[in-house]
Amino acid sequence: MAEQHAHAHAHHHGEKHTHISRGTYYRVFAALMVLMVLTVAAWWVEKNLLEIPGWLAVTIAMSIAIAKTVLIVLYFMHVKISSRMTQVYAAGAFVWLIILFVITMGDYVARGWPPQAGPLP
Amino acid sequence: MSTLSLPQSSYIRDNSRTFTDWLKSWLLTVDHKRIAILYLLSINFFFLLGGLAATLVRVELITPQGDLMSSDVYNRAFTLHGVIMVFFFLIPSIPAVLGNFLVPLMLGARDLAFPRLNLLSWYLYMIGGLFALIAAVFGGVDTGWTFYTPFSSTYSNSNVVMTITGAFIMGFSSILTGLNFIVTIHKMRAPGLTWFRLPLFIWANYATSIIQILATPVLGIALLLVVVERLWGVGIYDPALGGDPLLFQHLFWFYSHPAVYIMILPAMGVISELISTFSRKRIFGYEFIAFSSIAIAILGFLVWGHHMFVSSQSVYAGLVFSFITMLVAIPSAIKVFNWTATLYKGSISYRTPMLYALGFIGLFVIGGLTGIFLGVTAVDLHVTDTYFVVAHFHYVMVGGTIMAYLGGIHFWWPKMTGRMYNETWGSIAALIIFVGFNMTFFPQFILGYLGMPRRYHVYPPEFQILHVMSTAGASILAIGFIVPLIYLGISLRKGAIAGDNPWGATGLEWKTSSPPPTFNFDKTPIVTEEAYAYPPEAAERDAAAWRPGSPL
Ligand code: HEM
Ligand SMILES: [Cu+2]
Repeated sequence: MAEQHAHAHAHHHGEKHTHISRGTYYRVFAALMVLMVLTVAAWWVEKNLLEIPGWLAVTIAMSIAIAKTVLIVLYFMHVKISSRMTQVYAAGAFVWLIILFVITMGDYVARGWPPQAGPLP
Repeated sequence: MSTLSLPQSSYIRDNSRTFTDWLKSWLLTVDHKRIAILYLLSINFFFLLGGLAATLVRVELITPQGDLMSSDVYNRAFTLHGVIMVFFFLIPSIPAVLGNFLVPLMLGARDLAFPRLNLLSWYLYMIGGLFALIAAVFGGVDTGWTFYTPFSSTYSNSNVVMTITGAFIMGFSSILTGLNFIVTIHKMRAPGLTWFRLPLFIWANYATSIIQILATPVLGIALLLVVVERLWGVGIYDPALGGDPLLFQHLFWFYSHPAVYIMILPAMGVISELISTFSRKRIFGYEFIAFSSIAIAILGFLVWGHHMFVSSQSVYAGLVFSFITMLVAIPSAIKVFNWTATLYKGSISYRTPMLYALGFIGLFVIGGLTGIFLGVTAVDLHVTDTYFVVAHFHYVMVGGTIMAYLGGIHFWWPKMTGRMYNETWGSIAALIIFVGFNMTFFPQFILGYLGMPRRYHVYPPEFQILHVMSTAGASILAIGFIVPLIYLGISLRKGAIAGDNPWGATGLEWKTSSPPPTFNFDKTPIVTEEAYAYPPEAAERDAAAWRPGSPL
């Protein structure tokens, strides 16, 4: 009786349904492989075929990388089917990553401000 | 519970027949209290090692000439000291020992949420430590605990990779502890234990855990990239390969400034417990103390550039970091004011833990305020990389974290072991430590201000007197650390039986027996009141009951 109760409880408790099918895993894996091929292809094109300006090359590489990350985080790391609290924490990690990037880039962008060497006039 | 004998069954006792069984029961335990004891022993071992390295440094500095060791050996000595003290003592100290022991007890839980991860975290700590020790035995490292590039990545010929691997592995142990605490605090509070009834030690550890899981991975990556560049020549930090040495400082301090709060926040949590208990008063401004922990955890992530004012970081970034650094001081100050207000009209008893708590407040104020000096760019240009900085961070790390660690060990010693330590010796040791500490580190403020650079072992003769004072103080400090080892050791056999609640403190950990049974509580406690629920007249009653000569 008690066991039955615990079982029912577990079902109610899962905030969302808690399962990713095997098929989905395979599809995500395939998508990741495609993205990997894209990464290598982009590098190859830049090296052998076209002059791509730096900012564009970085944007392309970053976009592919972000797509991969999103897939892994949502499906392989189960964030898609996790509780709200887990999702908040996962999102928090990215907020922190943005802090790291934005403030660090703030330094790089501002190098050479003010332009004159030595103390300000 | 009787106070004449230790409880029949507790987490320390077990019925293993042979020595190997007994050893297994400890090394494979998933009991958070036993893991805390494992951590206590191993962390204190590393503290001893770090102390030995410090002794080398201090002895060398007695004379202005470099006569005891070469510059190269000196570099390795202070690096060993820094690496061991920061990564293997201060960062794990309070969370892994006191936090592991107390978080489930204070929450009214049977254990942490992931007992096996907890054990894994201890093993990772030990493996990381082993790497660091091997690196030290086979010649050591000479980069300083900060592993700055391009020296660490390109030029240094010491065991950089080995040491970095050790720090990297230890980082995972820290992450696992943080993860465990966060889940436990969210999920395993006893019925009725709402967020605003939690002891402030729990809030502090929660804030610490956030830092541990969000910052430590960045250190891991930064260090891993040094290894990658050293071993395979991938250009990350070396300009010749298209890298940027300053990138390392950004990544390193993105972790290491928050890491100083990994060290101090749990310490502040301990102090809140001690101040309230030994003033017999509710803590003043509970919510402010709780939220200032969270504010410190968040703001602490925005100020790392104050370690880079002279690093060729842009002037603009320096100004922004300087400004935000001023903001961090606010939540720290809030805590100090609230503790002081708690003392006001309290019935203060100068027991050993309270001596440490009061010492903490004074020393932390000096350490924090000199941090503000350093956060002002114009002042920092003058004193950066001098002994002023060394004095600043020892005031916060030794005067703050170690004082709280020792205060906490004494306060919860009866809970951990079931026995009382010798109060007289306890107070004597606390005073020795306070005097020795100030004598060691106060002269360093002056030295630094006069221009004594850090990390040099040859210096102008006019600095000698201050250096000799500092070394003399360090010897006193060392005695102060050894005395507790002795009387705490003796108390394990001879100490008076403590009983469940020797201090008359509030908090769930005092409601179970000392030492607690394996699953902490015979019956899950139900919480109906706030933390520190001393009745309003408790302090007056306590003061009225005071007998001359009684320490309590
Ligand atoms: C109250 C707020 C604090 C402020 C405003 C502050 C500010 C600073 C600044 C500006 C520096 C850089 C000095 C330089 O290298 O020129 C510094 C160094 C340092 N601080 Fe603090 N600090 C504070 C609290 C703490 C705490 C609580 C700890 C540790 C528990 C700590 C540990 C350190 C360490 C280890 C260094 C030196 C790192 C190194 O270069 O090896 N600080 N602090
Ligand atoms: Cu800092």
